[in-house]
Amino acid sequence: MDRTFLIFLRLDSSGTRRRHETKRRHDGSTHLMTLSKNTSMLGRGVKRKWSCLEELEAEMVPAAAEKEKNGEEDKENEDGFLVGPSKSDMTHLQQRQLVLGLCLEKLQHYQAGVELSLRRSVLLINTLKQIQEDMQSDGVETCPPEVLLNGVHTDSCLLRDDFREDMPVTCPGCAEDDEDNLSPPLSPEFPSQEANSSPEQQKSLPAATVNAFSDAVNAMGYLSDLALDDIFEDIDTSMYETSDLPSAWSAGSLWPVSVSLWADEDVKMRSSNHASAGSLQSCLTDLNELDHIMEILVKS
Amino acid sequence: RLAGIVRPGGDMQWCFSQVKGAIDDDVAEADIISTVEFNHTGELLATGDKGGRVVIFQQEIENKNQPQFRSEYNVYSTFQSHEPEFDYLKSLEIEEKINKIRWLPQKNAAQFLLSTNDKTIKLWKISERDKRPEGYNLKEDDGRFKDPNNITSLRVPVLIPMDLMVEASPRRVFANAHTYHINSISVNSDNETYLSADDLRINLWHLEITDRSFNIVDIKPANMEELTEVITAAEFHPHQCNTFVYSSSKGTIRLCDMRVSALCDKHSKLFEEPEDPSNRSFFSEIISSISDVKFSHNGRYMMTRDYLSVKIWDLNMESRPVETYQVHEYLRSKLCSLYENDCIFDKFECCWNGNDSVVMTGSYNNFFRMFDRGQRRDVTLEASRENSKPMQVLKPRKVCAGGKRKKDEISVDSLDFNKKILHTAWHPQDNIIAVATTNNLYIFQDKVN
Repeated sequence: MDRTFLIFLRLDSSGTRRRHETKRRHDGSTHLMTLSKNTSMLGRGVKRKWSCLEELEAEMVPAAAEKEKNGEEDKENEDGFLVGPSKSDMTHLQQRQLVLGLCLEKLQHYQAGVELSLRRSVLLINTLKQIQEDMQSDGVETCPPEVLLNGVHTDSCLLRDDFREDMPVTCPGCAEDDEDNLSPPLSPEFPSQEANSSPEQQKSLPAATVNAFSDAVNAMGYLSDLALDDIFEDIDTSMYETSDLPSAWSAGSLWPVSVSLWADEDVKMRSSNHASAGSLQSCLTDLNELDHIMEILVKS
Repeated sequence: RLAGIVRPGGDMQWCFSQVKGAIDDDVAEADIISTVEFNHTGELLATGDKGGRVVIFQQEIENKNQPQFRSEYNVYSTFQSHEPEFDYLKSLEIEEKINKIRWLPQKNAAQFLLSTNDKTIKLWKISERDKRPEGYNLKEDDGRFKDPNNITSLRVPVLIPMDLMVEASPRRVFANAHTYHINSISVNSDNETYLSADDLRINLWHLEITDRSFNIVDIKPANMEELTEVITAAEFHPHQCNTFVYSSSKGTIRLCDMRVSALCDKHSKLFEEPEDPSNRSFFSEIISSISDVKFSHNGRYMMTRDYLSVKIWDLNMESRPVETYQVHEYLRSKLCSLYENDCIFDKFECCWNGNDSVVMTGSYNNFFRMFDRGQRRDVTLEASRENSKPMQVLKPRKVCAGGKRKKDEISVDSLDFNKKILHTAWHPQDNIIAVATTNNLYIFQDKVN
């Protein structure tokens, strides 16, 4: 059975939530790191089976229990888990993957109508950039691109018990499927982007994915910077409005320039002035693409 | 009125005094306390909540027959400060939650305070009325007009005592000056101006003028995608009216002098502690984000609160803090989980006692911590209904970080992260503290021997 990276499944169903810093309402108290599945601290009353966190906790229980028996203090490393003897590289990778997923999930919350505060957006995006740098710095040595791809696309081969760095972890047909799924809605700029990035492929996700995510990331944090003159009152946006899109997006206002999350690619996907109806179309294209990716992630 | 006695920190034993708020465990969101502030004499204690209301408590006159009981705080005034608004441009609601309250020093019989939500600051006048006029010539006492033909004499209306009525009226509304969310307000020592800070800008206002403010700090980049840092708190120096500080999400504090230039984008001093490389993680930046900055009363130090610690800075030394206190270091190994449930973004405040010898801040599980700077001692106390018998002495609490848990200790995994103490305040002259749990306000006093 596929263990899915449940982070991505946790779409916020309430599109009408009031804007404020996301505070999870918990039923009862919230406890930290309890090892039984029923009392996970992951809140909002949504019980998450097979949460990656619980999987990792489950892995760590034997090690932790042993330490208890020996009367030692539980060894805690910087990864934030109670771990036994460090398998530091794997733990680091796992944590990085986990944090990456959480980061994207929190940023994607915006789509459901819950606005993130600017402070939180900035902190999340900085974390994302840090992860990207981290991935880049050891991307060539350790992880084949398929691993990163799979990590993001939630067939979490990384979390399989028998994960070994030297094992081919490509999910069959995954890479190709993704290419196929992602290419149709590409805007004219994408092909050149992909050509540029092929030498970089060793260490980056397909450009389409990168940029779709970076678009999402950028849009969320900075939409508070709406400029009056970018709103087009004469465009009927009712047909573009969906329940999970803030109306500001539909207005096509101030679509931020997409920034490549990968440090040495300085490719701008589109010009910085989006005060044109044409850009509205490409924005929607990207949104369709993002939806598409989400569909893939959510495939059940 | 209590004398300004401040005992040496080491003798402190804290006792429960009062608790305000609903006993109900089911918390109404509007009742969540969002700010707590004593006025300059400590006689008044104001709280703001998520529903936009301000409640002011007043200390009653001391009962001289029973000196072991300090006076209590009772409700003095309650009013609706802010209402929810709707930003039609962005299709977003503007919360009425009161982010900060700051008192003005008292100049006459009335009290004044500033209260702010995300977008608008208001100056409120709180005044007492304990007399009413009686004996008008032209109308009855109930307001009906008399028939002029029946008036045969002339008299001077007199003021007669009435039951005390406390009125709150908005005297100024300072609006439309902030694009981003206001996180701080601070009254200048000149008592004429104040600053308001949002994520990217700080504005200077004159208390009398509402249609104009001066922008004194602007860190908004020309290209928003270059944004990597936001302003998290700001405060004026308690004595130097030209000096203020602001903190950032990257853990830096900038001190600015308004005499240097009109726009204080260039700081006079930059306070930053180099990162400890052994503690580096994906969460390093988030936990270094400063959630509060407070000058000491004497103006020589400032205190900052980040996620795990409280730091005291000497204003003359920018390279590192002079003191660092760990609030809940046992959480460092739990950062991933705290990131997942968003607790890592919680913004804790901190405060000084009257003579700057002790600092206090909140934590989880309704714990709060005090650090005695002189005696190098710290204590963890808990605000809970279970420890709420009158004058009950609070027992110090201890969290067990790992290994064998001793009796009376609580293990990290049992902490309730829903119960957080974000807002605390210390009486400016006495050992009385106000501690806000989610929807209750606890008042504790130092035990009088």
